[in-house]
Amino acid sequence: MDSVEALVAHIQGLSGNPTEISHLHSILKQSEETLRAHASNLAPYIEQLQPSIHSLGYLYLLEAYSCVPVPRENVCSFHACVVGFINSCSAEQIRIVPEKFISLCKRFKDQVIQHQLPIQAVAPFMTAVRKLQASHEQLTTLHSDYLLLCLLSKCYKAGTSILNDEILEIDQPRDFFLYCYYGGMINIGLKQFRKALECFHNVVTAPMTPINAIAIEAYKKYILVSLIHQGQIPTFPKYTASSAQRSLKSYAQCYVELANCYATGKYSELEAFIQSNMEKFQSDNNLGLVKQVLSSLYKRNIQRLTQTYLTLSLQDIAKAVHLSTSKEAEMRVLQMIQGGDIFATINQKDGMVSFHEDPEQYKTCEMILQIDSSIQRLMGLSQKLTAIEEHISCDPVYVTKIGRERPRFDFDDFDSVPHKFL
Amino acid sequence: MDLSELQDALASKSFGKIGEICDNLMLQVASTGISFQQDWPYSIHLLGHVYANDLNSARFLWKSIPSGVKESRAEVVAAWKIGQCLWNRDYAGVHASIRGFDWSPEAVGLVTAFGESYAKRNFQLLVSAYSTISVADTALFLGMSEDDATSYALQHGWTWDSTARMLAIQKPKTVSEQKLDSSKLQSLVEYVFHLEH
Repeated sequence: MDSVEALVAHIQGLSGNPTEISHLHSILKQSEETLRAHASNLAPYIEQLQPSIHSLGYLYLLEAYSCVPVPRENVCSFHACVVGFINSCSAEQIRIVPEKFISLCKRFKDQVIQHQLPIQAVAPFMTAVRKLQASHEQLTTLHSDYLLLCLLSKCYKAGTSILNDEILEIDQPRDFFLYCYYGGMINIGLKQFRKALECFHNVVTAPMTPINAIAIEAYKKYILVSLIHQGQIPTFPKYTASSAQRSLKSYAQCYVELANCYATGKYSELEAFIQSNMEKFQSDNNLGLVKQVLSSLYKRNIQRLTQTYLTLSLQDIAKAVHLSTSKEAEMRVLQMIQGGDIFATINQKDGMVSFHEDPEQYKTCEMILQIDSSIQRLMGLSQKLTAIEEHISCDPVYVTKIGRERPRFDFDDFDSVPHKFL
Repeated sequence: MDLSELQDALASKSFGKIGEICDNLMLQVASTGISFQQDWPYSIHLLGHVYANDLNSARFLWKSIPSGVKESRAEVVAAWKIGQCLWNRDYAGVHASIRGFDWSPEAVGLVTAFGESYAKRNFQLLVSAYSTISVADTALFLGMSEDDATSYALQHGWTWDSTARMLAIQKPKTVSEQKLDSSKLQSLVEYVFHLEH
């Protein structure tokens, strides 16, 4: 135990400035074995340290302590300790050893989930994400864990705070897959189908050599959300990984058939199809979403009517989309007007609905502001892309690889050589 | 539990912020590890989301409330009843469930304010969606008696069609700002510059 005591003394003495801390870091790296050996006895030593000042040392000790199962009676104090640490630690110091910080946070997450208290970790994880990332554009491993905690504790709204960030830097592909998958689920819960679609789209079209389970599950939800939001499945864009283009559909056969059935626009047939595949959807945990697909068919069919008719009686609408009463049709139309899905006016006196064109003329100040901000965003993005391209084309590894793959001379180069010289 | 921020918001009638304040406070309290569910102001929290028209948050909050609390606190159930009617678009049901409960002094201001804004919102909806509508339906949407609804509508420029016994809706002309200033020209120049380089 003497060695641990000495280590604590080092931590207390060497946490003042960056040079001291880098010296401390090398001492701590050498004593990892010792810390692991004493893992279960570290609690009293941890108490001697200040999380805000001795962040690096505190992190090493706490992480080592969490390596072994924490005894039941100490779980609460361990949680309090981790939360206190996350809230007060210095971001500069923990970023020296991000892997330690991540592993501590992950153990904390596993524990609260195991004890069915996910809400306990939501706020600390938000803080942890912000302290770990160098900028809001960076995706960390903790992002997806944070979203998972939001889902489990039903605090969907809390997840939007990081989902609204524009992510441009990714270290691990797996982080990105999970982040987008959970992000899609949060947006489904909040009925933000356009955003959910974007999340799943990012998973489905991400580069992947062998296909992965996250992408398959995301593809199933991608189909369902596309149907709700657009009424059809979009085709794969050409930058989609070829493995995904080849095999995703075969893994989600049932969902592709559902989409085909949806395209016919027949409510009773779609209902029957869902009934006969109930178990499949249930075991995928997608039944709720499938039911939303079914009810969106009313909306889609009403929308289709607006393309054909200028005015139509409520009775005819009810008949055309298989609703039982004209009052029901009136309520559906009202909801769609409220949601901005169609532009129409209901006339109760004659029992008629007249459909209009979109009144937006794109010339108001607000609309111009909106267009302006979109253009600004796109310009920023295109500048980023140019910068990345320049960076890659200067990368020696990339240049040698490209040089090797391309033959040194094209055959065209020899074309002008007269035959007699050959 | 320090709920002073919530008390302040209630006192200053900043009802739109209540849901968000409660969300944040709950996450903070939960992270300390103490069990808060028994004393948490769930009814105010639910009503805050309802007021802000954030039905999804209300729905998930309701799902996360322990069943013991749901059974023992009638106001929480009454608050959710409003949310449920909103979710099912039972316009008359919303007004009925607002009136159907004896709200506590903390909640009553919030509920009343919601009732008023809900009626206003529905009135706007009717203006945007109908050209003629029966008095009975108008009363249903606005949560008023038929006479009150008629006079409210007439005050807002609707007319009474006595032959059809219907209210005819007059859409107010909306004037939106369309003038642009010279700074827009500057940004156009910047866009073109960007495209050409």
